[in-house]
Amino acid sequence: MDLILQLLFTGIGIGAVYALVALGFVLIFRATNVVNFAQGEFSMVAAFLMVVFAVDLQWPYWLSFLLAIGGMALLGALFNLGVYYPLRHRTYLPVIISTIGASIFLANTTLALYGPQPQVLPPVFETQGFLVGPVYLDTQYLLIIAVTAVLVAFQYWFFEHTLLGKKLQATSQDKEMAALLGIPVAGMIMLTFVYSAVLGGIAGILVAPVLFVSIQMGGTIALKAFAATIIGGFGDVTGAIIGGLALGIIETFGAAYISVPYKDAFAFIVLVAFLALRPQGIFGERIAEKA
Amino acid sequence: MRTTRRVFLKSAATVAAAGVVAPSIIRPASAQGGTLRIGMVLPVTGPGADAGRFALNGAKIALEAVNKAGGVLGKPMEIVTEDDQTTNPGAVLAFSKLASQPDLVAFLGSIRSTQNHAMAPDILKTGKPVAFGGTDPVLTQLGNPWLFRFRPNDSFSARVIAEYGVTTLAKKKWAIIHSTDAFGTSGAKALTEALGKSGATVALDQGYSNQSQDFTPVVLAIRQSGADVIGSYFTFENDLGIFARQLRQLGVQAPWVGSASIVNVTALKLAGPSLYNTYGVADYAEESSDAARNFGKAYRAVMKIPPDNQSSWTFDAVTVLAKAINAAGKTDPKAIREALLAIRGHEGAEGTYNFDQNGDGLHGYNVVRNDKGNIVFDKRIDFYKG
Repeated sequence: MDLILQLLFTGIGIGAVYALVALGFVLIFRATNVVNFAQGEFSMVAAFLMVVFAVDLQWPYWLSFLLAIGGMALLGALFNLGVYYPLRHRTYLPVIISTIGASIFLANTTLALYGPQPQVLPPVFETQGFLVGPVYLDTQYLLIIAVTAVLVAFQYWFFEHTLLGKKLQATSQDKEMAALLGIPVAGMIMLTFVYSAVLGGIAGILVAPVLFVSIQMGGTIALKAFAATIIGGFGDVTGAIIGGLALGIIETFGAAYISVPYKDAFAFIVLVAFLALRPQGIFGERIAEKA
Repeated sequence: MRTTRRVFLKSAATVAAAGVVAPSIIRPASAQGGTLRIGMVLPVTGPGADAGRFALNGAKIALEAVNKAGGVLGKPMEIVTEDDQTTNPGAVLAFSKLASQPDLVAFLGSIRSTQNHAMAPDILKTGKPVAFGGTDPVLTQLGNPWLFRFRPNDSFSARVIAEYGVTTLAKKKWAIIHSTDAFGTSGAKALTEALGKSGATVALDQGYSNQSQDFTPVVLAIRQSGADVIGSYFTFENDLGIFARQLRQLGVQAPWVGSASIVNVTALKLAGPSLYNTYGVADYAEESSDAARNFGKAYRAVMKIPPDNQSSWTFDAVTVLAKAINAAGKTDPKAIREALLAIRGHEGAEGTYNFDQNGDGLHGYNVVRNDKGNIVFDKRIDFYKG
């Protein structure tokens, strides 16, 4: 039982990270009908920004966090203008390829600017963790779970109970109709990119003390987050959360009870199974309709 | 051992400045004539990029020393680099790009066994000596006459890990943790054999795939196995750092004797206190010999940080290649090969080079201990029988 509880805690912690990044995937997909394959690199860039501000320059953690998030908002805006906007009238394929190009660009630019050495970002809390009975609770994982819960609640409230959120929803559902209704569609899409970059950035900053800060961290997380969105259903916020958590738990338990080396394979077996048997995901709409 | 970004930036600036002052160090691929050129496959991108930076630093320091001493065959030596992207296809592509340049007389291969395996068929076709750092024993048993290893192979590291753990630490019940790549798998196999001969038992043999984000199931398996000592073969420092932290967080305090990556500069930085009081078998240990100390001094003078095995083997490879080519008196590949095989008693940063007929230059390891982040040399165990 101790073993199960320990695995469950770790699985939920890792799954919450996937869920956070998956939320960014979902938001952009809803607004633009394309998958942003640079979502993971948003996490990586934010983590490196935190290292620059909090470790290299030794500025206060809260200030570094605000600056890193501000940087991500700017990056999201630039990404929209440079990667999505010029191709917005094309089919989804050139835009997807453009996001892949952007992810390579972001990874290599960070490598060129910062160098290849992995970095350590100290955790928010000095206490690394504590025992509750036989189960070790890592404070950083607790923080990740808590922040994910808060962001999901915020997102639900924002989309369902604010005028801006409803405008964003209208834009994602039918851009032409939204424009006819006077909604500034380009502005809404810009806002979506900014918010998803911030979400990816928060995920990167939260996970950095656990996984270290490296050029590869974004790609690793994004692959799993992408699988999570497929499981949950592209375009479905709840699905992204459930998909992320499910994936974290599946791979952790799969590693413990079936095979550690095939840990990553479990995620992709589940992904393939969903694509083959239920492409709309647990809750989501049919991918075919969107794509 | 503590390093900062500022130190790295200063180091980079120093190297850049050194490049301007001593332009013979590294030149673009197009520069030819009047120099003796060797190729170098190294990771500039991908998860091994950090190791690639150390490897290049070591090669540069050796190159500067070689050229200061008069170069090779009366010409300045030059290194031409290609990025292997830390992948097997990348390594094959990088090597083929270098191999297509007929004036390159020899090459530096990869520190990663898997990549050397991938390149081996092309190396055989090219027919020129390749100095490499991968420690899979099989590499020098492939019958490929052009492969020359500049690190001790894992049959030696496994014997040293087993001997130290069983004899010195008096631990008999082992958990072996290893990457599932060629390096980790062959290392674990060699360690299992060595432990069997030492009368110890393997309670757990657990592989993991590179770039793992979580080792909780591995740590829990160690805990459940009841092992009283851990032996490991980790490929990437990031994985080792995550494992080390989770191991200690989840309460496993068993002694840990790891392969060389456990004492790499990057691993020490990432894992910090989680690696205190662990043991490593290190091909490079600064206090192990005068040659190692001299390399450490030269490296620190330029880079302002301590070296590790990622840079010491390339330092030795460039130095020994230069020595062999000078001894051969010509750039004929067969003559260089014969000169390499004839090298005896060369004191390098990693140890004393005595090439055997398989192309293995080193036959022993140092045992070191992590004393609050400082690597303390314990002893060298050498199996060379001239």
